[in-house]
Amino acid sequence: MIEFFTSSTFQTVLSALNSGFLKTLQLFFITLIGALPLGLVISFGSMSRIPPLRWLTRLVVWVIRGTPLVLQIIALFYVPGMKEWFTWPSGENGRMLAVCVAFIINYACYFSEIYRGGIQGVPKGQQEAGQVLGMTKAQIFRHITLLQMIKRIVPPISNEIITLVKDTSLARVIALQEVIWMGESFMKGNSGISGLVWPLFFTAVYYLAFSGIVTVLLGKLEKKLDFFQ
Amino acid sequence: MKNMKKLWALLLALAMTFSLAACGGTSDEETTTDDQTAEDTSGEDTAAESDLAYVQDKGTLVVGITYFAPMDYKEEGSDEWIGFDADLAKLFAESLGVSVEFQEITWDYKVEELDSRAIDCVWNGMTLTEDVVAAMGTSNPYCTNYQTLVYSADRAAEFEGLTSLEGLNIAVESGSAGEDAAEALGAATVPVQAQANALMEVAAGTSDAAVIDVLMAAEMTGEGTSYADLVYSLNLNEAQDLPSEEYGVGFRQGSDLVDAFNTFLAEKVADGTVLKVATTYGLQDAVILE
Repeated sequence: MIEFFTSSTFQTVLSALNSGFLKTLQLFFITLIGALPLGLVISFGSMSRIPPLRWLTRLVVWVIRGTPLVLQIIALFYVPGMKEWFTWPSGENGRMLAVCVAFIINYACYFSEIYRGGIQGVPKGQQEAGQVLGMTKAQIFRHITLLQMIKRIVPPISNEIITLVKDTSLARVIALQEVIWMGESFMKGNSGISGLVWPLFFTAVYYLAFSGIVTVLLGKLEKKLDFFQ
Repeated sequence: MKNMKKLWALLLALAMTFSLAACGGTSDEETTTDDQTAEDTSGEDTAAESDLAYVQDKGTLVVGITYFAPMDYKEEGSDEWIGFDADLAKLFAESLGVSVEFQEITWDYKVEELDSRAIDCVWNGMTLTEDVVAAMGTSNPYCTNYQTLVYSADRAAEFEGLTSLEGLNIAVESGSAGEDAAEALGAATVPVQAQANALMEVAAGTSDAAVIDVLMAAEMTGEGTSYADLVYSLNLNEAQDLPSEEYGVGFRQGSDLVDAFNTFLAEKVADGTVLKVATTYGLQDAVILE
């Protein structure tokens, strides 16, 4: 058993999976950094007092949430070049860029609905109290609504974040070489090793470990926000 | 009255959406024409002319591949793509005066990869099927291949000498020449994403056998692989009275790179380079030397 873990095959597979998982992590963090704030902007749009803006935003959210992410990735990567609008940069970086854009838009739409629920879930009395104190609208949002909203949305956002860890595997549809792609690569051959199936199943270890860490961190965050209640 | 207001607002919103979309369309088109006025005037012929210029202009030939020994693969501990196809691709790029870049792709999307200009050619032991020839600008053939049947060694007795696959569940790569062969011989096909997945079906017992390229079967089954229990036999092209398959390189439809490649290939066959490279990878019997 120990021989297996010190064998050169295991080392080669491990380093390939590591490089794939680095791509997975890159996609995960870029998506979060982009989608968390964008989601808030979209949620303002879907709660806007201006009906056309509100409907337009909700239309976009409906389209994005109503179609598979894998389809959005394929469309976003291939259609611009086929229609000669623009070409994504060649090489792995262009693919990563396209996938990040698709993920950020998709996840921002899901986040926006969670934000909307969180904001609208704060009792109206809280805002009225702010008005009585003579606070401006912006002050009310920042000091009263936002903090209470954050507390409310942590559990549903955590859910989405855990889903995101695993959704990153969809990126391989346009040949982004994330961890599952690398795992599969040893079936057809990679670095002189071919016909190996176990690296594919071994990628589960990476996902489990990472989602474990994320779960613990999000649990801590939730605890920290306990003082609101 | 209130409903009317809402209806108007909805209509306005829709109008805005479409006008925005329209604006986007026009401005994008404008930039495209600005960028390409020199090369991209109307008409198929002139559009084709621009492809070689386009590649030379950007200075790289992006070659779409999948991992496929002995055509495109990496040796253990090395990060360089080698193989019969990879080595010739390097020479071809050199002859065009550009550098070469290998890009792994998802095989199902090879045509979209070409059309969206994410890659410039598909050069990966691609069988010239009717579908491929219809969707791409394809080169003269440079190598031969046939489809073979892969099955578990325990069940070898059932499969040896078969001429029909009726009543069998056969795993094939979706859209491959193997799928056509299996269907023509009466099998119930199980289309999967890649030839490697087809082998996994057989190993897991979820399909009776798989139909894949003989070059790949030789590389991926037998001792030292996860498929040590799988064996292959039968030339399914012979079984169908079909000629052997031919490998070719795919470019964008109407591209002038096809002619550039054919000229290059004829030169390299004539001066013996093709045979030399083929011998390096054990393909001297399969390569076409017109």
